[in-house]
Amino acid sequence: MIRRLQIPELGGAHAAVLHRPHATVLALTRQLEAIGLQVTSYWPELPVAARGVDYLFLDVDPAYDDQFPWPAGAAPMPTIALVGSEAPGRIEWLMNFGADAQILKPVGTAGVYSALLIARATFDARAEMADSITSLRARLGQRQTVVRAVALLAARCKSEDVAYDQLRAMAMAWRVSFEEAAERIVSKAGQQESDHG
Amino acid sequence: MKRNIDLGVLFSRSGTYSLLGEASLTGALKAIVQVNANPALNIAFRAVARDPQGNVDAYAPLCEEILRDSDARHVIGCTTSWSRKEVIPALERADGALWYPVPHEGFETSDRIVYTHACPNQHLLPLLGHAFARHGTRSYLTGSNYIWGWEMNRLAREIGMRAGGSILGERYLPLGSVDVARIVVEIAEMRPDFVLNQLIGPSQYAFLQAMADLRARDPHFAQGNCPVLSCNLTECELPAIGAAAEGVIAAGPWFCGMPDLAQGTTGRNFGSSFEAVAHASVMMLARLLHGRPGAENWPLAQLLALPQAAQMGIDARTHHTSLPVVIAQVQDGTFLPLKSMGPVAGDPYLTLRQEPPRPALRVVP
Repeated sequence: MIRRLQIPELGGAHAAVLHRPHATVLALTRQLEAIGLQVTSYWPELPVAARGVDYLFLDVDPAYDDQFPWPAGAAPMPTIALVGSEAPGRIEWLMNFGADAQILKPVGTAGVYSALLIARATFDARAEMADSITSLRARLGQRQTVVRAVALLAARCKSEDVAYDQLRAMAMAWRVSFEEAAERIVSKAGQQESDHG
Repeated sequence: MKRNIDLGVLFSRSGTYSLLGEASLTGALKAIVQVNANPALNIAFRAVARDPQGNVDAYAPLCEEILRDSDARHVIGCTTSWSRKEVIPALERADGALWYPVPHEGFETSDRIVYTHACPNQHLLPLLGHAFARHGTRSYLTGSNYIWGWEMNRLAREIGMRAGGSILGERYLPLGSVDVARIVVEIAEMRPDFVLNQLIGPSQYAFLQAMADLRARDPHFAQGNCPVLSCNLTECELPAIGAAAEGVIAAGPWFCGMPDLAQGTTGRNFGSSFEAVAHASVMMLARLLHGRPGAENWPLAQLLALPQAAQMGIDARTHHTSLPVVIAQVQDGTFLPLKSMGPVAGDPYLTLRQEPPRPALRVVP
């Protein structure tokens, strides 16, 4: 399948550059402004207020976790690594930080636009994947509830297959997920037990 | 007393797009003659010309040769985007600058290059706006198999879809190929509202001839129906195409008969926008260097930061220029303007939030 690239709205978008004052910052700022972004550079730390920017460029060479107002791997915006040293330790730090795209230093006029597009696409794909993993985990966690609900229903109708179909029909009738329907059956049974007790 | 300045000139006089290279070369040389004869400008250019003969691999070595063997720091040259991208490393190594005077597909702002001809918001977008309003939104896309055609057609697809249109087909030919039969068969079958043609050189000439043959035998394609659109066809190629060019609709910053693009010059009688823009580029450079000894060795950013650069329409941020936008149609062998706008600032990344062209008529449910 061909992925059609969604070109993000870059005109007027805000980019932060976390890098000491340097020719790299000038070259990067020049290029970002040519593309139409507003640029603010920070050093040595990124303030909490910078969480609201649309893109973050960071100098990997001297980077450490405490520069960022979020835990490693949890950047709230697409991030682009400016890589100078290719020492494995730096690459390891970068992998834990979780940048969405990278540009090798020195930064020229090429590479910035494609890094913005790739970072945005990667960030969005990652966020989408994290969402589906969260919902899959939740469903996995509810598996035990489903097993209990099916067992409760099967006690009445004598067959697990029929119980399964019944549960599916209830979920559709109530317009909730299969897991949610199971949750209701189990909690109702629990209530009845305590009523009888 | 004029100070002499070397100026690199790098256009192909043979190969598949030699007519374009020749037109640019003519414009640049006309401007050099004019600058050298003008007592009000205290500089004179000495052309250091090289001919890559349409071979993409010859551009970088020849550009390097100019920058190494002469005092030139500015080069005017290149026709295809492919060749422009090839010379950038040479410019960076030798601290040179390129004035690139032909239409391109945007999405590039090298700090070594001044882009003086139109980019998509100055050619493709207004051209599509015109086609959607006059002919419809069902399009067929074709082009030569390299970045110009690919990117222009990608943009056309995006803009067409946004306008609620449909793309009936998309086909490419290798540079220089005249194997256009399959494309024309598809067009004849699919009957689009218009054809966006990004073919260059002999491919385009063969394609227009085959379309003319189709118009002669199929009344659905009679003159006036299903026009062929172009973002880079100018007068300089009309003699090579002949009557088959009739009806082609093109966008450009200048067509024959319009006033000169360069400020303060009139009546040069250029053959095409390729010539007019190459001329205007050299004139702009001359005005920036006039009265500033040593400015020929300044970094390009410093030169473009001069207030005079902005006055001439060069944007120091994007290195693109403000240009008129004209949509014109070939009638009786010349381009007849249908619509003129502008001047419009070049917006290479399409981030200036200008409204995309919309069809004037839309179906209201």
